[in-house]
Amino acid sequence: MPEPVLLRHVREPDQADIHGYERRGGYTGLRRALRELSPEQVTDLVDRAQLRGRGGAGFPTGRKWKFVPKDAPVKYLVVNADEGEPGTFKDRTLLEGDPHLLVEGIALAAYANGVRTAYVYMRREFYQARRQLEKAIAQAYERGYLGQGILGTDFSLDVYVHPGAGAYIAGEETALLESLEGKRAMPRLKPPYFPAVMGLYNKPTVLNNVETLCCVPWIIREGPEWWLEQGPPQLYSVSGHVNSPQVVEAPLGTTARELIERAGGMRGGRRVKAFYPGGTSSRPLPARHLDVPLRHEELAKLGSMLGSAAVIVMDETTDMVKVIARVCEFYREESCGKCTPCREGTVWVTQILDRILHGRGRPEDLDLLASLARNMTGTCFCPLGESVPPSLRAGLEDFRDEFEAYIRAAREPVQMPVRLHLGAPAPGG
Amino acid sequence: MSGEPLSTVTLTIDGRTVTVPRGTTVYHAARQVGIEIPIFCYHDRMPPLGACRMCFVQVERMPRLQTSCTLEAQEGMVVWTESPEVVEARRAILEFLLINHPLDCPICDKGGECPLQDNTFKYGPGASRFVEPKRHFPKALRLSPVLTLDRERCILCWRCTRFGEVVAGDHALKGHDRGYRTHIDTPPVTLERPSKFIGNTIAICPVGALTSGVYRFRARPWDNRPTPAVCTHCGVGCATWVDARGGEVVRVRAREKPEVNDIWLCDLGFFGYDYTNHPERLRVPYVRQDGVLREATWDEALERVARALERAAPRIGALGGERLTVEEAYLLGRLFRALGSNHVDARADSRFAPSPRDWVWGAGPFEALDTAAGVFLVGCDLTEEYPVLWLRLKRALDRGAVGLAVAPKRLEVEGYLHAAVVHQYGAEADVLYAVARLLAERQGSVTGPLREVDVDASCRRAGVPREAVERLAQYLPAAAPVLLAVGRLSWDGPEPERTLAAVQTLRAVCGGDLWLLRGKGNAVGALLAGLAPDTLPGLVPLDHAEARERLRGVWGFEPPREVGLAAPAMLEAAAAGQLRVLYVAGADPARDFPDGSLWQRARAGLELLVVTELFWTETARQADVVLPALSSFERPGTVVNLEGRPQRVAPSRMGPPGARADGDILQLLAERLGRPMDYGSVEAIWEELRRVAPGLELDRPYGFTRPQPEVDVRPAQPHDPGEGLVVVPASPLFRKGEMSSRCRGLPDLAGDAAVGVHPGDAAALSLTDGRVVEVDTGAASARVPVAVTDAVPPGHLLVPVGFPEFPRARWAASGRRLRARIRVLEPAGRESR
Amino acid sequence: MLSEGAKREIGALRARYPVAQSALLPALLRVQEELGWVPPEAMAEVGRLLDLPVEVVAEVASFYSLIFTEPVGRHVVQVCTNVSCLLSGAEAVRERVERELGVRAGQTTPDRRVTLLAVECLAACDQAPCMLVDERRYGPLTPEAAARLVRELD
Ligand SMILES: Cc1cc2nc3c(=O)[nH]c(=O)nc-3n(C[C@H](O)[C@H](O)[C@H](O)COP(=O)(O)O)c2cc1C
Ligand code: SF4
Ligand code: FES
Repeated sequence: MPEPVLLRHVREPDQADIHGYERRGGYTGLRRALRELSPEQVTDLVDRAQLRGRGGAGFPTGRKWKFVPKDAPVKYLVVNADEGEPGTFKDRTLLEGDPHLLVEGIALAAYANGVRTAYVYMRREFYQARRQLEKAIAQAYERGYLGQGILGTDFSLDVYVHPGAGAYIAGEETALLESLEGKRAMPRLKPPYFPAVMGLYNKPTVLNNVETLCCVPWIIREGPEWWLEQGPPQLYSVSGHVNSPQVVEAPLGTTARELIERAGGMRGGRRVKAFYPGGTSSRPLPARHLDVPLRHEELAKLGSMLGSAAVIVMDETTDMVKVIARVCEFYREESCGKCTPCREGTVWVTQILDRILHGRGRPEDLDLLASLARNMTGTCFCPLGESVPPSLRAGLEDFRDEFEAYIRAAREPVQMPVRLHLGAPAPGG
Repeated sequence: MSGEPLSTVTLTIDGRTVTVPRGTTVYHAARQVGIEIPIFCYHDRMPPLGACRMCFVQVERMPRLQTSCTLEAQEGMVVWTESPEVVEARRAILEFLLINHPLDCPICDKGGECPLQDNTFKYGPGASRFVEPKRHFPKALRLSPVLTLDRERCILCWRCTRFGEVVAGDHALKGHDRGYRTHIDTPPVTLERPSKFIGNTIAICPVGALTSGVYRFRARPWDNRPTPAVCTHCGVGCATWVDARGGEVVRVRAREKPEVNDIWLCDLGFFGYDYTNHPERLRVPYVRQDGVLREATWDEALERVARALERAAPRIGALGGERLTVEEAYLLGRLFRALGSNHVDARADSRFAPSPRDWVWGAGPFEALDTAAGVFLVGCDLTEEYPVLWLRLKRALDRGAVGLAVAPKRLEVEGYLHAAVVHQYGAEADVLYAVARLLAERQGSVTGPLREVDVDASCRRAGVPREAVERLAQYLPAAAPVLLAVGRLSWDGPEPERTLAAVQTLRAVCGGDLWLLRGKGNAVGALLAGLAPDTLPGLVPLDHAEARERLRGVWGFEPPREVGLAAPAMLEAAAAGQLRVLYVAGADPARDFPDGSLWQRARAGLELLVVTELFWTETARQADVVLPALSSFERPGTVVNLEGRPQRVAPSRMGPPGARADGDILQLLAERLGRPMDYGSVEAIWEELRRVAPGLELDRPYGFTRPQPEVDVRPAQPHDPGEGLVVVPASPLFRKGEMSSRCRGLPDLAGDAAVGVHPGDAAALSLTDGRVVEVDTGAASARVPVAVTDAVPPGHLLVPVGFPEFPRARWAASGRRLRARIRVLEPAGRESR
Repeated sequence: MLSEGAKREIGALRARYPVAQSALLPALLRVQEELGWVPPEAMAEVGRLLDLPVEVVAEVASFYSLIFTEPVGRHVVQVCTNVSCLLSGAEAVRERVERELGVRAGQTTPDRRVTLLAVECLAACDQAPCMLVDERRYGPLTPEAAARLVRELD
């Protein structure tokens, strides 16, 4: 197992301090870039490192940067530190333990993209992380890594931390931009609002996840080949029924079995029933897939995804109906309410699941749920609403017996569907 | 995008080939070949949102269903609007929308004209699979005096909220909370002013969620008889549909007219109809006998008027015209000229009445706003005076036009303008001269009288910081040729001539057209029809030989040669006993002529005052003969808006028995006077008017010409400082006039009259919001609460004229500055709100 | 109703962004630091400070679950109830804290000491079950430890 990269220094007590960070090689990537590399070369290195976004969508970062128009006079960099996907806590770990790594990543991304202003959109609950990052930013200003004429060049950059205020959807990139503009965090229409060309204040905007940007200083410092040799390094947030839930750094494509091992094995030595490989938006997989490499391609084949690489492990005692109901409730609570299928579908689905859990399920509910899962697929405005069907589908296909058990035990009489009555005659209708 | 070559794309939709301009959405491309795709959130006056997901189509080689309202048509696209997937998805969306919808169509106002109902019939699921409890909100919520919201019916299409953002800019309705808890609402604080455009949200709501507090439960759409009409509350002349049921007007809706109101109305238009049904309408003529007005027969009343006119002619005058049709105004002018008098004037509420040859009220085509580089409002409180014009201006500003303003008060829309300067009452000319001078300096040619302008002194006199004026000057080049719109705050201000000279001076420097936004209803039409003392129909000068000849041909006589008296002069003459009979048609000078004491002296000097009216107005009460007239909902004819655009109106209800149209009254009088005006129909009058007033064409803007601008710098009138606060008389859109106070909802929208005091003055006078004070000008006083507001500059008092407490006659002494003293009435310490 | 200090800070926040509205969330949070919640009059005041219609302030404030548009207690306790915590006993923690405070999640104790919220994932699943007490995070928690924490709040 190679030495960790991203997590290498997070536990050093003075890593959050600029001296500690510098002593361990911090800001050499930035120095190198400003001295030796053109912005395009920085982007090329990131591209060659095949870095893919760590926020959830897994889009190649270098390619994303290349969409940003070179000649636009005003551009922004926005860092997604909203970390809201259930089961994900790697960004917080980096922010609290190694904030300068992000600051350096920000500076490099800004340099590569010709950006002079960066905003870090950070969820409100990250009080500790915010303190750490703000201190790091202040120190970086003092030492000339931020501000006017960075390291004696004509590159200047201002960085601000911007607080969220409690909304998972604000993690979705266009909703985040709305929120950063002081509006309700409702996703924007794509096209025309692709952040890279029409982002913050309708200006070209580079938008990246915390972990993504934390990879950049290493890539610049050590080169893309080295980066790839390391795995490439990937942070997996491992939680649930494991002995010591934690962020595990492992090469991309590590299996869930190995990750569980790294997280101290299963609690009480119990067996795995299922696991979410990429946060609750991914399709949970039954234990038989424990040896699938957790990589974008393999997971896509299983109808799941790597997402934010949040591996939530559930043991044999887990009530899957309850977990899935809870997951659906999450999306119901966090739906922005803009589009019909998400706003209404999440409510309906959770009403049915709640009824099943409370002993009032009907046999036809399972078909109904399957049909609602279908009706919410490919119809929602943004991926939030479409995060419900994967769990439902897994429930109905891989854990159907658990649903059926609830329904068999149901006590309440089954209600009949009501007919729609639309009273008044419509002219010509 | 500009600059790109205009090109087209060709695609197939359901197997049919369609070619559309690049940038067209698939939804519109489909419409072009008659394929209707169901929509909810999309509305063609707003950019697409893609929220409801109703308009799905399938596009070959695209992975998922696409919302056609947001999808741009591309060359070679193959689109299917009825594929099994589409049908299924639509059904799914409708099912989602209906699970929490109460399905209470039988008692819903929207029933019968409801897109949700229609789409459900066409595309919806057959049976509901939903057995869960529905989402409940408190039932029908009164969001405003005219707006009721039933949140359970709301399908969250966001049309109403986006209307407030995109179209009106007033943000009246918003989505609150989020997810399934989202609901439409107003903020939890008392608002300074209600929306002026909320009726439109009712019109575009695709379900029965937003309903009219006035129309609610009054009728079902299929019982209504719609008639095309034109709103005459202000001078914009919005096209309407008037729905009547059982002889009662129950609703007014917008009629699509892109050149004028597009598809919108303001709330005065939407809700200002109930007066026509009002029980207090006058139904019989009255004549004064032994000092009191008593009921009379038409015969008696008309005889009295006819004899008096006959006896006094030519020392007789006629005032009014805004409530008349253009045909009626024409008859009024013809009758008086037949009696040898040119004393006719439609401007019954203005003290400033220059020759309409020079300064006729009116605007260029409203559509000029669509391409204007910039607009400069001078004393023009657009949203209060001509609200629907604001919607067009907002569109222009959104497109990038420059918006500038000077006014003695803050404008509601100032946030959308590039620069807005608030000056001392009456000092707009100083600001304009200063701007003109600065601009001339920039252009490097300060010539002629402009050399006399001292920018700093002007700014000082106007109470405006120099930077503010510089900002105007800075934006003007980008705004040129600028459309200068002069409004009532200036026209009725203390020095209108100087203001117009200053406006012309500015025009000479920066070019552009000039609009005089003044006059309500058909006032401009009445001027064009000849109700002006020195012009003939069509604004032709009185001594125009050819025109006189033509008139003799059709009238059988020539109008008198001597120039007549304009409204203020008429009153002066009456006061001096030189004008003996005054015929007032649909005007209320006793309240509205901005010099109450002149009116009183005039009244006293008159032998006979005749009024045709709908209600017991102040003028009617003072009259010797009162003739009950018909409202604009009750007779056919043509009305002319500010553009000089004649539009046809059809009657939507019968008037109260006993009342008569002004036109009929005039014809009866003419007969009695032996000067018959026999026209078989309104149409015949119109045709004649068209012949004698060239340029008047149905549905065409008149094409006003403005005098060539020249630089003319006039010194300011000295005014003594005096005591108290300077009155800024501003007429709010919602007030409590004779008509609006008789319309359900409108008085509540107007609220109670309050005077606005600047926070600085309020502090000096120890006034807090809501304190009741007595305001006193010496000639008039009123007891009203104070509203502390920075809408007026320090030292000023914002007075809402048009409220019963503040008749224009006493509170808008145009031509000079009124000062009011404030006395606190209530014990201190009581703060309301 | 806002202190001069808060007004000044909101003015300074405004300067960080090219568009004043961007300062809205930070400004509302600043108000909340001062008043505990965002009462309607404060919305109006923030609107004036940022040149925004109060309608816009209200619609935005109502969207975010951590902008309190109703009064809250002196302390706000947020118990995570999302999946990872659920799997580690969050239900028991929540029930125990509810019992301790005598209120259900979403409510405030009658003495206005504590507002209890059941919240979504706090991104601290390595400390599941966890909760936030005002600005501090605690976890992994036993029901008893959680009860003790809230008991000790003043
Ligand atoms: C509903 C939703 C929530 C999201 N939440 C987050 C988040 O909390 N943090 C994050 O980095 N990305 C989140 N994303 C992904 C972002 O939209 C975006 O893809 C990402 O920030 C881009 O950065 P990256 O390319 O560096 O991954 C979310 C996406 C969706 C659809
Ligand atoms: S009230 Fe009507 S217009 Fe407004 S969101 Fe609801 S359905 Fe749409
Ligand atoms: S009409 Fe297209 S998404 Fe609503």
